Amino acid sequence: MKLKSKYYLAWAKDEKIRKKGANGGFVTATLVSALENDFIDAALVFEKKSVYEGIPVLTSDPEVVKKCAGSLHGVPINLTRFVVEYAAKKRIGLPTKPCDARGIIEQAKRRQVNLDNIFMIGLNCGGTLHPLRMREMAAVFYGLDPDSVVREEIKEGKIFLISEEEGGEEKEKWMKIDELEQKGYGRRDACKSCTVKIPTMADLACGNWGVPQGEEKTFVEVCSEKGGAIFENAMESGYVEAEEAPGKGIEARKKIEAGMQKLAASWKERMDEVSTLSRSERFEFYVDELKNCIHCGACKAVCPVCACEDDSKCLDMNDERDSYAISMYNVLRIFHLMDSCIHCGQCEDVCPVDIPLTLIQRRFSERMQRHLGYVPGMDITEKPPLYETELRWSARVE
Amino acid sequence: MEESKGEEWEPKILAFCCNWCSYAGADAAGLERRQVPPTIRVIRVMCSGRIDPAFVLMGLLEGADAVLVTGCHIGDCHYVNANYKTRNRYEFLKEFVDELGLEPERLWLRWISASEGSLFAEMVREVTEKIKKIGPSPLRREWKK
Repeated sequence: MKLKSKYYLAWAKDEKIRKKGANGGFVTATLVSALENDFIDAALVFEKKSVYEGIPVLTSDPEVVKKCAGSLHGVPINLTRFVVEYAAKKRIGLPTKPCDARGIIEQAKRRQVNLDNIFMIGLNCGGTLHPLRMREMAAVFYGLDPDSVVREEIKEGKIFLISEEEGGEEKEKWMKIDELEQKGYGRRDACKSCTVKIPTMADLACGNWGVPQGEEKTFVEVCSEKGGAIFENAMESGYVEAEEAPGKGIEARKKIEAGMQKLAASWKERMDEVSTLSRSERFEFYVDELKNCIHCGACKAVCPVCACEDDSKCLDMNDERDSYAISMYNVLRIFHLMDSCIHCGQCEDVCPVDIPLTLIQRRFSERMQRHLGYVPGMDITEKPPLYETELRWSARVE
Repeated sequence: MEESKGEEWEPKILAFCCNWCSYAGADAAGLERRQVPPTIRVIRVMCSGRIDPAFVLMGLLEGADAVLVTGCHIGDCHYVNANYKTRNRYEFLKEFVDELGLEPERLWLRWISASEGSLFAEMVREVTEKIKKIGPSPLRREWKK
């Protein structure tokens, strides 16, 4: 059997998986099938501890994969560094958000992982929530005890929180995302302004956009040969069933993506408090924010693009005794990410002194990337421009 | 940053010169008895490709009012193509300095060959003049008297 089209509606054949996983359990079923049919040695999935906490698990046991099905919006972790550290030598399969996939591709460009060994099932991503903000949100706006929340769901522009009351009764409450975000809650800053919603750089791009209402199916776009082969195999070995996606669905999916991108662009503008400042005010803003840095190195440890490990220039050349206005660590990190930052916002999440790194990195890297005509993490064949001998042609023509 | 009154403020300019061209060019300026403003501090490197962007940034953080990156003309590099890399990195530095809120005039890239002593002297004069106009760098640090 050869795949005829690029777009499919697919679902898991196994009823248990279908019930546990979101949108027909396609992702879980495909991972299990890839494991059983020896496409991958291990799968990297999230074990849910609570709605605010998930632990990445590298496993070759299909039962564990089945147990981990379902989405977690409150765990905004980027898996790239986990893959580099623990699974660089193995053939693995994992579900990826667009920023995970882009991070893994950037690491592959830096020879930290081999992309041939990694099977990425991309998930459409409308954004993730910061667990601490989510707890606050549950208490303030939903009037729930944060610890009683057992499930969360995002659909149709609303955030649903489902709590379990004493006696096992479930209670569902929802609020509009827009409303929450006006008040400074809702999705993370990086997600609000992210314009990459469909991970076409992964092997498969899956999601519920474009699926007819009321149907428990997953819309799948086949983005690479490897993805196609594994998808085909999953159908042949009876883990997954699929039908060609109707034209209406493809249109609807595009429309949702365009709408999300428009919203992200407007958020980007609204959140950019630096753009209204003059040159000297801008300088003061950067110095003011970055002087709080305590050089713990957390932002570097989680950065999905950074591949320098412990002997990096930003650590070696940094000396606290220099007492520069902005430390060498920050200057070099920002400089080195100017061409490659994928705006995932991990650095801000882990920063112990709350430096608005999402904004700062975005300010620096976006203008450089525009100047270079380069989008990081999309195409494995494009080298990071900082390491090239010649300037990219798009920057040369002026 | 309080200078004694009456004395004119002198900028401090850091220049990276490559051994084969621009450093020899600076030498030539001396041999030809050309006046070069005493605002410049030269650091010799073997090639402009050796100038890590970190050096330039560190120079700025240390309080240099301007940093000059100089090297052989494109195509004349003694190490095949290293000054192409310099040009590439300079593009990054330019954007970085501009976004940080420093004036773009604080960063210069010039190609100067070993025989262009006059060009070297002229460049230093030009940079000094420009910097005097825009004033000391906001990153400048000096011991208070």
